[in-house]
Amino acid sequence: MATKFLSPNKKGVMDNWREKITRPISISPLITFRIIFGALMLFSTVRFWANGWIDSLYVKPQIYFTYMGFEWVKPLGDTGMHLLFLIMGLSAIGIMLGLLYRFSAILFFLSFTYVELIDVTNYLNHYYFVSIVAFLLILLPAGRCKSVDIWFSPQRKITHVPLWIVGVIRLQMAIVYFYAGLAKLTPEWMLEAIPMKIWLPAKSHLPLVGPLMYKAWVAYLFSWFGAAYDLLIPFFLINRKTRNSGFLAVLAFHICTAIFFPAIGMFPYVMMLSSLIFFSSSFHDKLLGVHRRVSFPSKLLPAIQAKFLSVVLTVYFFIQIVVPLRFLLYPGHLFWYEEGYRFSWRVMLMEKSGNTFFYVKESKTGKTFEVDNSKYLTPQQEKMMSTQPDMIIRYAHFLKAEYQKKGIKDPKIYAEGFVALNGLRSQPFIDPNIDLASQQLSFGHVQWILPFYKDSK
Amino acid sequence: MNKKILFGFVISAIAIIFACSKKSTPGDEPVVNSFDKGAMLINYADNLIIPAYSDLQTQLNTLNTAVNGFLTNPTAANQQMLKPVFKAAYLSFERVSFSQLGPAETALLNNFLNTLPAMTNDDSNLAKIESSIKSGSYDLQATATVNQQGFPALDYLLFASDAVTKLNDAGNANRKKYIQDVMARMQSLTSGVLTNWKNTYRGQFIANTKSDAGSPIGYMVNQFAYEMDQLKGPRIGWPYGKQSAGAVFETKLEGYYSGISLSLAIENLTNLKILYVGGSSGNGLSAYLLALKKDQLNSDIIRYFDNAIAKLKAIPEPLANSLTNNKPAVDAAYKDIQILLTALKTDMASALSVRITYTDNDGD
Repeated sequence: MATKFLSPNKKGVMDNWREKITRPISISPLITFRIIFGALMLFSTVRFWANGWIDSLYVKPQIYFTYMGFEWVKPLGDTGMHLLFLIMGLSAIGIMLGLLYRFSAILFFLSFTYVELIDVTNYLNHYYFVSIVAFLLILLPAGRCKSVDIWFSPQRKITHVPLWIVGVIRLQMAIVYFYAGLAKLTPEWMLEAIPMKIWLPAKSHLPLVGPLMYKAWVAYLFSWFGAAYDLLIPFFLINRKTRNSGFLAVLAFHICTAIFFPAIGMFPYVMMLSSLIFFSSSFHDKLLGVHRRVSFPSKLLPAIQAKFLSVVLTVYFFIQIVVPLRFLLYPGHLFWYEEGYRFSWRVMLMEKSGNTFFYVKESKTGKTFEVDNSKYLTPQQEKMMSTQPDMIIRYAHFLKAEYQKKGIKDPKIYAEGFVALNGLRSQPFIDPNIDLASQQLSFGHVQWILPFYKDSK
Repeated sequence: MNKKILFGFVISAIAIIFACSKKSTPGDEPVVNSFDKGAMLINYADNLIIPAYSDLQTQLNTLNTAVNGFLTNPTAANQQMLKPVFKAAYLSFERVSFSQLGPAETALLNNFLNTLPAMTNDDSNLAKIESSIKSGSYDLQATATVNQQGFPALDYLLFASDAVTKLNDAGNANRKKYIQDVMARMQSLTSGVLTNWKNTYRGQFIANTKSDAGSPIGYMVNQFAYEMDQLKGPRIGWPYGKQSAGAVFETKLEGYYSGISLSLAIENLTNLKILYVGGSSGNGLSAYLLALKKDQLNSDIIRYFDNAIAKLKAIPEPLANSLTNNKPAVDAAYKDIQILLTALKTDMASALSVRITYTDNDGD
């Protein structure tokens, strides 16, 4: 299994594993993946543009909620943002065709990630997935065969790579699935079928299955099947014997999610097509029309490059495995505080919404100004901000600066927030007596969020 | 073989679920009731939305006749005769204000008929109206002129303290023509929307039982939130000085010049409650919540509606005076409006799985 390259240099069994994962295999799975990924990203970019989202998400808003440490990431204006998306689209073509491959991969990674870093509002797990896969593609030799680059300089062609090179993508996908499955193992998801019970009745318009959407057992079926699928699918796909049925399950699962939750957009298609990476190299050889001699491979990945990659990727995967677990360091209900929630493959896990009233108080005079959020935020930003503590702090800081500009001396920012989580009634979310502008963003536990009460029906 | 393993796993998972759910809740697990969303939408279309537009059309015709009568002989006495007719039409608009979807959205009906906050004495839109009247050249079709027409413009042109004087001034022909043009535009927009509802949109509306962004249910839930935001903001809160540290801007009230602001607010909220319960048949979002076993939420929402309406009614007329002279009454209403707003915008939207956003971007 691909994971094992993480712990090399042990005697016996380990040596065996080492031998197995360094065994040269056809580069074809990587090539298919590159082509599919490039094509999907090209399509995504065009779709994003055509839907007018560049404008509505990155040009129209007045303020942007940046990530901690990435405050320097700013939208580039109307022309700039469209140019950035043009670069993104062109570099996706570059990846797909293997044209200036490494340069294209770097350009795609940077442009895509830059866009994602502009506003936390638009955080999606599958955007994060795209970013890290793009990063991996920079490192992997996916442009060294069946590409424009090789057509121009055939001497750089590689036909075979160690198994673990292909394993990198497989491992990354396995991590996504497995963590998504672990995240579902909560009493609410498994024992109460929440939030499926809340979401499914809104899908009763569907033909044939519509009336079933009101049945509790259907909600349980969705919850349990979802959890089992995420936890088990990597193993089904890795194992040659179960691979075909596993892939059928991938298709079934993601087609279902696309039908039931169309709002998740490209995600099902990205996952369905990416899962092809689990198929054998002979499958991919056939797919790409490659006829390789079964004899000893002639063009191997240079050993020094392989060595370098193995070190970088070991560090990379260590981070990938640790980051989703950081929520364990925080006290309190994870869904309530959302500390360690992002970048953890928690996909469609909770029903949470809220609304917040902000008050700007001038310290000396005690004059209070209520804020019209819609004046500064898009509806989507307001919705996201109302349930996510770090965004609330950012907004409070913005308001402080804004009202200082209006001539209010030493403004303090107070807020009343109400949040409904997983079908419970809304509860007060923010301590109304705390000046939010005085709070700083940090990785520490927030002190000004009021406690969550489960039994407040 | 492998398919069998997978299949076996699913089957056993289901079995375990049933075993577990039986154990944890003996007897009757509250299964959500089926609900006929199509029937609910038919009720909204046929008994609430379309009749409200028909009524507005009738009221505007009546108002048109009355306005023409007043313009022929603009006296203070005739102005007083005109006021109840104007009020009736404006109240009728409050009953379609909610239905800002489909044809109304396309025609920007609400924007052209009642953009809030209404213009004030120091508003540039008021100056623009006056200069349009002077020059006699203006284009009421242009979206840039939404602030210079509709009910707020009529309110000013017919009922401002110097309205009668100005209508008797030299050059009053232009002024009268402007009023008639505003009137005609309101009538044509309204009948256009009504016709569109009857002929085409009704079919689409009742056939679309989705809850996503842009669907009728999605839109309606968003409109409850929007109307509450409007009530809390431009209808009451902003004129009351909530945004301005208590500095009152009573001239920003809806229907300020005719002095009917409070009636308009009460009508708006009362009608919102009727829409929530689904009118006399009761087949509205309220019934949908009940089907989802949200009985407590439903009865709370109805109670919050009643509280807020009662508190509004307890404010002495005219509202413009009470904003300064009866602050406790206004505060009490404001507080209850905020409670109702949260229940509709957060609790109801969440329970119905509708997102409060007009954008249709991806989510997960």
